Order: sequence, then structure tokens, then C-alpha cells
Amino acid sequence: MTAVVGPVGGEERPDHLLPQQASEAVHAGFPSPAQGYYNGPVDLNRHLMRDPTATFLVRVSGDSMTGAGIFDGDELVVDRGLDAHDGHVVVAVVNAELTVKRLSWRDGLMVLSPENPAYPEIVLSELDEATVWGVVTRCLHRV
Amino acid sequence: MSEPAQPEPAPSGRTPSEARQTERSIAIVDANNFYVSCERVFDPSLEGRPVVVLSNNDGCVIARSQEAKALNVDMAAPWHSIAPIAAMQGVVAVSSNYELYGDMSARSAEILSRYTSEQEVYSIDESFIELTGTLDETIAQAREIRRAMRKLIGLPVSIGIAPTKTLAKLANRGSKQNPALGGVCHLGSYAPARQTAILASVDVGDVWGIGRRTAKKLAPLGVHTAADLRDADAALVRKRFGVVQARVVHELRGVDCLPIEQVQPEREQIYHSRSFAVPITTVTELEEVLSVYTQRAAARLRKQGSLTRLMRCFAATSPFSDTAGHTNHSVSVAFPESTDDATTLYRAAIAALGPQLEPDKRYVRAGVTLMELTPRDEHASLDVFDEAAAAPPAYGAVIDRIAGKFGEDTLGLGVAGLRHRRGWSMKRDMVSPRATTHWDELATVKAT
Repeated sequence: MTAVVGPVGGEERPDHLLPQQASEAVHAGFPSPAQGYYNGPVDLNRHLMRDPTATFLVRVSGDSMTGAGIFDGDELVVDRGLDAHDGHVVVAVVNAELTVKRLSWRDGLMVLSPENPAYPEIVLSELDEATVWGVVTRCLHRV
Repeated sequence: MSEPAQPEPAPSGRTPSEARQTERSIAIVDANNFYVSCERVFDPSLEGRPVVVLSNNDGCVIARSQEAKALNVDMAAPWHSIAPIAAMQGVVAVSSNYELYGDMSARSAEILSRYTSEQEVYSIDESFIELTGTLDETIAQAREIRRAMRKLIGLPVSIGIAPTKTLAKLANRGSKQNPALGGVCHLGSYAPARQTAILASVDVGDVWGIGRRTAKKLAPLGVHTAADLRDADAALVRKRFGVVQARVVHELRGVDCLPIEQVQPEREQIYHSRSFAVPITTVTELEEVLSVYTQRAAARLRKQGSLTRLMRCFAATSPFSDTAGHTNHSVSVAFPESTDDATTLYRAAIAALGPQLEPDKRYVRAGVTLMELTPRDEHASLDVFDEAAAAPPAYGAVIDRIAGKFGEDTLGLGVAGLRHRRGWSMKRDMVSPRATTHWDELATVKAT
């Protein structure tokens, strides 16, 4: 017999991802009292990734985002499926490089701001080529 | 199809009610310059520049960006011979990174599965999918798929749509040749006369399933273009060339003869891997193992009538017992031409994996995977390789026959014949990080 286990963080999982299946086969001996309740161990991927197909992990180099809790060597969970809005921390392509910054709009211009006073913000004129690569949803920081 | 061919405002040849009818059509979705596009997702500095991807020993060009194609950098050209000129032209060469391409391929297949229930992953960068709806709805779906592929994983794709796979392939060519189409070409957008004109502009040798050699034999019969073949006598084509080519005739007429194969047991991959009863500690023994495994894999390849273009080999130590740390050597070899020859496979396996093996390690497992399989009869050989393709069957087939008679271990290609192996070693000087599959190689984002 196979029990279909519903998604735990249901609101974070898109419809197209089928729920995981857990085996509930009864073997010889006493069935586990947890049977029917056991969903398997917590799977971080399920909770940290809204859509695994559109999610990429990247590593940070530099300290311009320390004010946002993002430090040199941290890993970021980047969701390309989300639309980037004002205030999002994003990975953007600036000068042919992937860079992490806080996104905002000012007078119709895209502004990429660091979260460290030692660094200047980047205001992109309409002529500059800048594209948002993905929206940062999590930061993995070793404590 | 080289001239701009705009879709008609209203699809001619159909009444308005027919145009609204829900229809089933086949779309082929393929990633443009897939390997290069994968590299560009994680290295934006490659955007807009001529880029080539080299085979595993940095030997030959196996993929080119549009810019490199425009510079006439030859496919399969040996890199060392073109490097000086290419460097002056600003061509950037990168080593092939099959783990990255494989992961991006799996992601694109998953995205496509959101839009269809019928999907055939045809190769690492192409899928056939079924779309249903009116002409306009189908085109809208294709545009949405294109947008999703670009947004979610950063890959540009082209989509050809038609009633059959063969025509969809043809439409896909059109979507690439005519930028005005925006990467989506639905053959049904054109009136019947225009469709005929399009087919007449396609060389018969470029039709999916018709190789150069068949094209040569079709020429004396007055069949030079896709339109000629469509209008040819199917019975005659069947008699002279066989059932495969006759099916192409029907497919070109819009009769669906090649259904979408969701399960392809004979296409995907051939995998031969074993754990050893006793750990292997010498390189010579490991080479013997690889020799046996490549032959087994090659035998299965020939049995199902396929050719491979990409082989992956690995040798691993135990993750549990080895105090010196777990080692898993893994290499990919791309062949300039698809092959089913056991000798080619195991020479390549040993040349690529051999130099990586460490004599003091205790290897407990090794394996061979053959990928990018194509059916032998579908394989369109380039003219320069025709001679090789027409050569008598190599040792492989002979070994298979003897093995079939006397058992698998009776005869094989020994390592003895390899003592004087070529002096080329595995070289991947310009390989990009395996950004999606290895924790230590994640793409770097600058916070500066």
C-alpha cells in the first residue's frame, strides 16, 4: 500500500510538482506507531526552493552586501522564476558579470544598491545594459 | 526558406471555422547553440562574442555560437590548427562541460513537461511535444514556452510546429533562418502554395531522416528538394530505399507516421557499470575492466542498431572504506562522428580516463555510459566520413557474433593491443565550473 503524502510547506510548492510518495508497506512484526504520520525527514530542498527547475545556487564573492546579511563566501538561493520587484535582492548582469545588489527604481531608472556604505550604488541609464538574472530568496551563511 | 516569409494575416486554405477547430500538432523545441548557450548562462561575458566549445581533449570544435558560425569556424575543426586565426578573430574557446549541459537539458525537459502531456526528449537539446488548440492558440503556447525557457533557465530556444515530426523539423529550420518569426514557426500559418514553395527551397538532403547518401541516389530520380520528395511515388521510394524513407514521404504530406515516443528504451542511454568483488589497485587491471565494459556497452549499442556520440566513463573508490578520501574520476568523451565501434570506444575510454587513475587507490566500481544515441539508419553521415561509414564492419560485429555463439567472455579486445596508445592525454584547459552539480563549483556572484 502506498500513501500519498501531501506537501508539507504546501504554499511554497508549485502545482506541477507531484507530492512525494512514502511507502507504508507493513512488514512482519509490529507496525510503527508513526505509520501514516511519517513524511520522511525534513528535506531542505523542498523548503528552500519554490521551483527547483528555476532555482540556482551561487556563491558570493565580496562584502558589499553585508548590511543585508550576505557575506563573502555565502551561498545564495536564486529563483529565476520570480519577477523582480522594488526592494528585492537580485543577481543582475552588470558589465558582463553576475553581481548581487538590492534592486530599486528611481525616476524610471534601475538602481542597484550595495548594502555597505563603502560601496557606491549603480544607477543604470537606459543605455546601460543590465538584466536581472534572478531573485535571491535565501542566503546560506555559516555561523 | 531563406527569404523572409511572413505568416499570412489569416491562415488561407482554411475556413474560419476550421481555423477555430482544436487540432493536435507536433512541436520540436530545440535550444539554440545549446552548449554555448549553457556556458553563457553562468558567464555573461561570453554574450555577443564568437564562442566555440571543444571536445573533451580540447581537440575539435563541437559547438559554435552564432557569431562563430558567422566567422566560418568549421564544425569538427581541430582546434590546434585553427586556434591562431581564431584567436585573432576574438574567438573564445571553452572545454566541454557535459555535467552542466546534462543538468540544463534535464531542466529544459521539465519545463516542457508543464506544457504538454506528450513529450519525447529526442536529444540533449531537442524535444518533441504535442500541442493542442487552434493555430493561434498553438502559436501562443509556443511563444509562452520560449519565454519560460529564457526566463527560468536562460536558454534561447527555437520552435517548429507542424502536423508531423518531419515537417516540424522543417519549420524549426525556418524559425532559425528568419529572425522576423521570433523563434516560432508554425507551418500552418502559410497557405498551401506557400508551404510548397517553402518545401521547394529545402534541399532533400536536409530533410530529417534523409541523409546525404540517400539524397545523392534520389537526384537521378529528379528528387532534389523536400517538395520533390513529398510529391514522389511513395511506393517507388519504399521499393528503392526502404520503409524508413517511404515514411518520410508521408510525413512530408502531413500524415503523422512517427508518433511521439514518450518512452524510448532504445534511445536514451546505455549504461554498463559494476562493483568489483575485490578492489582493484593497478591501472592495468582497471584498463582491462574498462575494455570489457566498453565492449559490453558497444555490443548493446549494435544490438539495438544505434550509434553514440558521447561516452562517459568513471572509476570510483569506496566512499566508506577509503581513509584517503573518496575519489570518483569521471570523464566524458565526445566523438567527432557517431560510432558503434568497440575499438574506438575503449581506446577513447582509456585515453581519457587512464591518465587520471591513481596507482595507490583501491577502486571498487567503474562504469561506462553511452549517450546521444541515434538510430544507425537515421544517421546522416557527412560526405568526408562516408568512406569510413562504408568500410566493412569493424572488429565489434565479429566479436558480437563469436560472443553470441560461444558466450560473452570468449573473445574481446585486450589491453595488449593498446600498449602503444597515442600520446594524447585528457586536456580540458578551458573548462567552465560545473555550476549546477558541484557544490565547490557554484557560479560566483560579485558583491563588490
